[in-house]
Amino acid sequence: MFFLKKVKKKVKKQQEQNQKQQNQNQQQQGFLSNNLDQNLQELQNIYQNCMDVVFRQFQIGGKTKAALIYIDGLANIEETDASVLAPLMKESDVRVNGEQQSIDMGIDVNHILEQKLTVSKIKKVRTITECIEYISGGSPVLLIDKQIEGFALGLSKWEKRSIEEPVGESVIRGPREGFTESLGTNLALLRRKMRSPQLKMKSMKIGEYTQTEVVISYIEGIAEQTLLQEVETRLNRIKVDGILETSYIEEYIEDNPYSPFPQVLNTERPDVVVASLLEGRVAILQDGTPFALIVPVSFYSLLQSTEDYYQRSLISTVTRWLRYLFLLISLLLPSLYVAILTFHQEMIPTTLLVTIAASRELVPFPALVEALIMEIVFEALREAGVRLPKQAGAAVSIVGALVIGQAAVQAGIVSAPLIMVVSLTGIASFTIPRYTAGIALRMLRFPMILLAGTLGLLGIMLGLLMILTHMAALRSFGVPYLSPLAPMQGREMKDVLVRAPWWKLNTRPSLTDNIQRQGPNQKPNPDYGNDKTSKGKGGSL
Amino acid sequence: MIEKGKISATQMGIMMYLTIIATAILLVPAITARQAKQDMWLSPFWASFIGFLTVYIAVQLHQLYPQKNLIEYSEDILGKFLGKAVGLIFLFFYLHVSGIIIREYGEFIVGSFLLHTPLVFVMGTIILVCSFAVRCGLEVIGRLAEMIVPVVIIMILILLILLIPDMEVANMFPIMEKGMMPSLKGAVIPQGWFTEFFLIAFLLPYVADRNKAKKWGMISVVAVMLTLSFVNIAVLFVLGELTAGFIYPAMSAVRYISIAGFLEHIEAIVAALWVAGVFLKIAVFYYALVLGTAQWLNLSDYRPIIFPVGFLLLLFSIWSASNLMELTHFLGSSSPFYRISIQMGIPLILLFIAKWRKRASNSNQGKYQG
Repeated sequence: MFFLKKVKKKVKKQQEQNQKQQNQNQQQQGFLSNNLDQNLQELQNIYQNCMDVVFRQFQIGGKTKAALIYIDGLANIEETDASVLAPLMKESDVRVNGEQQSIDMGIDVNHILEQKLTVSKIKKVRTITECIEYISGGSPVLLIDKQIEGFALGLSKWEKRSIEEPVGESVIRGPREGFTESLGTNLALLRRKMRSPQLKMKSMKIGEYTQTEVVISYIEGIAEQTLLQEVETRLNRIKVDGILETSYIEEYIEDNPYSPFPQVLNTERPDVVVASLLEGRVAILQDGTPFALIVPVSFYSLLQSTEDYYQRSLISTVTRWLRYLFLLISLLLPSLYVAILTFHQEMIPTTLLVTIAASRELVPFPALVEALIMEIVFEALREAGVRLPKQAGAAVSIVGALVIGQAAVQAGIVSAPLIMVVSLTGIASFTIPRYTAGIALRMLRFPMILLAGTLGLLGIMLGLLMILTHMAALRSFGVPYLSPLAPMQGREMKDVLVRAPWWKLNTRPSLTDNIQRQGPNQKPNPDYGNDKTSKGKGGSL
Repeated sequence: MIEKGKISATQMGIMMYLTIIATAILLVPAITARQAKQDMWLSPFWASFIGFLTVYIAVQLHQLYPQKNLIEYSEDILGKFLGKAVGLIFLFFYLHVSGIIIREYGEFIVGSFLLHTPLVFVMGTIILVCSFAVRCGLEVIGRLAEMIVPVVIIMILILLILLIPDMEVANMFPIMEKGMMPSLKGAVIPQGWFTEFFLIAFLLPYVADRNKAKKWGMISVVAVMLTLSFVNIAVLFVLGELTAGFIYPAMSAVRYISIAGFLEHIEAIVAALWVAGVFLKIAVFYYALVLGTAQWLNLSDYRPIIFPVGFLLLLFSIWSASNLMELTHFLGSSSPFYRISIQMGIPLILLFIAKWRKRASNSNQGKYQG
């Protein structure tokens, strides 16, 4: 027996030496050592002055040392207590690896994993970096003495907003759920709408300090590989300390960063993302913001509202045309007012001209200055209305109504027709469903007013031609911005000029080679001749 | 190749359509009416033969030298020295013609709308705007054409419909009172516009679907012919014998439009849309000029010379005539021969020589083989 003990001691010494060497090697590569204290020491060094990180040390079955490391507020403490700490600490029959003699090798991990821990999501971690990644992500990490592996427990839980209707993109008909700030929730929302395993989600991390998780989502077989690669290369290029919103990413991946026009679509709606994925586009989601990015987009897709596809096709078509009309109004109306009053008075019908002249009689400014002042005031009011707290908002709207309204006219600073022009422009710019596209046109209005004031209708035309040239040259991830109108894609016109019924929208945009999106003969074709039910009712159509 | 962009044959056709009618629609009715009187609507039909011939020549030359445009293949056909000389002739011709187009535009705007604005400023602004389009390349010009042409066609149709109340069909009669001759004489000057179709010689190498290029060239000629004919008819119906007395009869006819006392004096809007057409026309000429110059000088990129050439264009537009009268006199007298001799005469000679050389080399090969 004694001899045996001696041998054991020797073996143990050797093992310890070996392990020490191993430990040193492993620690140099950032691996966890099999010494709990050492691991804890290292983590504590890293998490120095981080009072939100909790190191909970305990013993499994009163014998083996273990520690649980988590961030207070990110980990689900109740769950952890109930399904990790309780079963482990109450553990009485600590089974060891193999036979009694190798007790120093530690406890039987598989036994713990298989029978004790009532946690569904457990990941093994081997390096310190991995540990930190999971701890920072909210998952408590369980480290056990004599084990070179730690266990990240999927028990993260933090305060998050519930799923609400997106404020910026509300609809009358259609799903009302919107993305939240939690990436997991957002991905789940997508997956619930598309069950096919073809829906892929690739994860990556952007931001040296924020380590923000970014997910590229696409449908395999529909999205082009080249597009996907382009998206990935552009995302991989981003080297920045942190990203807080997808707009950061947007500015890094745009084709033309100086263009006033948005070349990436952002949305809060899962149904918009799924619809875009089905058209062969790629979505970029980011943790911490409810806004997903969709690329590539054309100018027309920015003018389409979600609801176009949920209303009946005829109504959507009319709405679309209304929108195109008001798009022009939001860009051109003030400049037309200035141009016509300054250069082309003969175009106004006589009676109207008399009225306008009468109302402008007391106004000291030329039309150009008048329009510029009022448009700037309107923009300021809009900005103030967005930023102010709700209680003050009401006051602003009352004062605003006076400023751009009757009082301004009575004070003789502006004329009444201009008030109409400004408010109509304001309304028009809000008919554009995408805020970013609307704001681009609203900003372009100012150079247009200046051009109209200097060169009249000619100036407006020159300005329009410049904008058009710019748009024709613009691309979003290689796709011409004005497509499918220029370059012309006749097939896609049925979703631009009109909104054809769903059974007619049988092809995808030419972003993808997988063009067919529905079977043939999808037009509803009720056959009343052979229908027995209609015979019974005696009705014939 | 300097230009890396590709356009479709459709884009080329649409582009050429607008390039031809932009100025033709304004000036041709009056010029035709002077000779053809009430048969002025027939003249575009005769004039269009020149158009078909020009497109044919350009396409034939293109088929002999598929990758090259006029400046490049003229060297292949005539040898280095003569080829460069022909290239230089074309470049100066396009410089001159573009100058004239810009001058026409400037005179029209200053004469009709911006009476107190200096001519140079009006012409300078359009050159500036066009230079941006040229800078963006051929693809963008093609897309712009696709955006502008539908608007222009719809505008022409709406104007024709709005003019119906003022139309007097009797103005058309008697048809061919003095036989064919007046309408043929009336076609002499409009054919100058149809020779401008030779511009496709600069565009053909960049057309993606080559086999359709000829078809779309011809469709474009037919469309121009029909448009001019319709406009001539409309102007004739509205203005009658007075047509020849106006400088811009189509514009004068538009002044007649008055719907319910509300829709009146829309000529400013029409003119604004016409500006879009002229913009494209100048852009296409400007592009051909800049591209040709870059090739002639063996440059690797045409963008650096856009602004210098634009400045030259402004100078040429001022030098081209001392006033509007001189300009219209030139357009109405010697210009058609000037245009036809360069845009059809030289290419025709080039085509014959090229064919002859090809045949000669083929028979030579035959000899050696035999």
